[in-house]
Amino acid sequence: MGHLRRPRSRAALLGRRRPLTAPASAGPLVRLLTDRFAGTVTDLWTDEDTVEVQVPGDQIVFTLRTLRDDPDFAFFFLADAAAVDYGVGNRFEVVYHLHSDRHPTWLRVRVRVNRENPVTPSVTSLWEGAMFHEREMYDMMGIVFEGNRDLRRIYMSPDYRSFPQRKDFLLPDDAADSPSAGNRPLERPETWDLTRLGDAAAHRDEPGGPL
Amino acid sequence: MTTTKEPRRAKAPALPSVAPAGQAEEPRIPDPLELDAAATAPRPEYYGFDIVPPPDRPPQTEREREIYTLGDGEMLVNMGPQHPSTHGVMRLVLKVRGEVVIDLDPVLGYLHRGIEKLCENATYTTVMTYVDPMDYMSAMHNEHAPAIAFEKLYGIKAPRRAEYIRALVVELNRVFSHGLMMGFLALDMGGLTPILYSFINRDQVVDLLSAISGQRMLFNFFRVGGVNFDVNDEFLSRLGTWRAGVLDTIEMNEKILTENEIFGARTKGMGVLSGQQAIDLGVSGPNLRASGVPFDVRRAHPYSIYPELEFEVITQEGGDTYARYLQRVAELKQSIHLIDQIVDRMPHGPVQAQVPGIIRPRPGRAYAAVESPRGLYSVYAISDGGPNPYRFRMRDPSFISLQVLPKLMPGHLIADTMAVMASFDPIMGGVDK
Repeated sequence: MGHLRRPRSRAALLGRRRPLTAPASAGPLVRLLTDRFAGTVTDLWTDEDTVEVQVPGDQIVFTLRTLRDDPDFAFFFLADAAAVDYGVGNRFEVVYHLHSDRHPTWLRVRVRVNRENPVTPSVTSLWEGAMFHEREMYDMMGIVFEGNRDLRRIYMSPDYRSFPQRKDFLLPDDAADSPSAGNRPLERPETWDLTRLGDAAAHRDEPGGPL
Repeated sequence: MTTTKEPRRAKAPALPSVAPAGQAEEPRIPDPLELDAAATAPRPEYYGFDIVPPPDRPPQTEREREIYTLGDGEMLVNMGPQHPSTHGVMRLVLKVRGEVVIDLDPVLGYLHRGIEKLCENATYTTVMTYVDPMDYMSAMHNEHAPAIAFEKLYGIKAPRRAEYIRALVVELNRVFSHGLMMGFLALDMGGLTPILYSFINRDQVVDLLSAISGQRMLFNFFRVGGVNFDVNDEFLSRLGTWRAGVLDTIEMNEKILTENEIFGARTKGMGVLSGQQAIDLGVSGPNLRASGVPFDVRRAHPYSIYPELEFEVITQEGGDTYARYLQRVAELKQSIHLIDQIVDRMPHGPVQAQVPGIIRPRPGRAYAAVESPRGLYSVYAISDGGPNPYRFRMRDPSFISLQVLPKLMPGHLIADTMAVMASFDPIMGGVDK
């Protein structure tokens, strides 16, 4: 199976934290979060228009309910719920994006899920609209949401046995089989290890590399 | 109406059995009386649609058991996936008693292409070609959200002229999408004329967009750090012609529909969705604003040049099919107003920032949401420093909006299912990704 693209081994880098640099508009929300959830919420991080926190799995329903119902937060709208696979031997992550009229930024809540036993609480008790999100995550990643009363496959047929968006579900790489394979850096097998591609300077002079 | 769980079939006369080797069997002549009996046996009633038996496997969930367990006088009716008015390849299993819908199960996935996975195996620039055919009625919006997300990841900004051109094409796209929705809504209720008028406007806009991008539907126009082409003379002259006549073509449809008594009877009070229910179900965009919730991503989380433009978030009171129709018409006119402002204020300058051929952003995460004609369309992209996104997640508004159907349809007639669904304007290319 040499033509299959190798799973990436760079997942460890993704957890790298940046220092907290809160823009002025996000200040009140960051202060509120650190006041109310001092014990549970970790890894506060901000972006130009997003505030990001991490919540332990058993606290997620309580935290999201507080964020929704507390008038200081008022994150009434669940904008997105997505699952991320950080690779074999690592973890899953479920990411919720919330909207509030009281705060100018999006709030991103991340929850870690064990990859060997991917079970996490369902939030359909808070937003019924999370149903299709959770069904999609179950279908594509195989994450089981406890408390969801309709956890069926939504895209694949009911007898399908795999989870296509996991990182160990590989796509055959057509480019690697083509007659021109090896002409460009991306098609050479030795560059499939992306720990080396991340170093842009090493590929500066190659055709197809960064300008 | 008779209760029919399984279609009753007339018993065909038994076939003559194969004779064992060495033995001749007399050919059996069927009794004429027997044939008569078969011809006059009770046949299944024809309802004009397929009756589906419940699935022959045990239900997987509580909810599936609830839908597929039939009570007295109930039956399951299949609608789709090739139904002409399901807006694509979608299947609905309706549980009906007589002509009244009791419950409904949307069955999706007939158009699933795994675009997220494909994008995770494509470079940041080629992602734009994959997201186009998702929600093919608003391909410009599909490209806008990844462009913003990748620019955040890469830490660059598009030039101001590029932002204006982006806003221009995106609003043009909204005009033709909302215009077509007016036509399709009428078409699903049996009115053929509005869709023809809608296509006059739609073809003009599509020609406009092909003059600027080179493509009619799948534009591949946005780039990380700008857009592919600047506006040209052909585009501007076509824009002038279109702008002179667009309000007339919309008015032709409005004259047919808005005050129409039959249209009113089929839409007013149908599929009423309250604001709180809409928020719970994740409905966004015009469908949410038609229920009275003033949530517009262009105002709530401003992107591109929308902070500089003058417009107000329009809402309706009713929350029914008619309110969603009125909301589309109002937003259509608002978009034309926005296009006027954008053309007036467009600055000079470059349309593309200096970006390398293959982009390798630093490891990080970015979330970008835009207001598409169907609601909140967002992208969550994760970079691991490589040339393609580590995770590329798209939230399609019509996928989430479909969840309202099992809540709204109970109590409505089968004939109204399509009308209520059309008012949410789902596009199956986006639903199934």
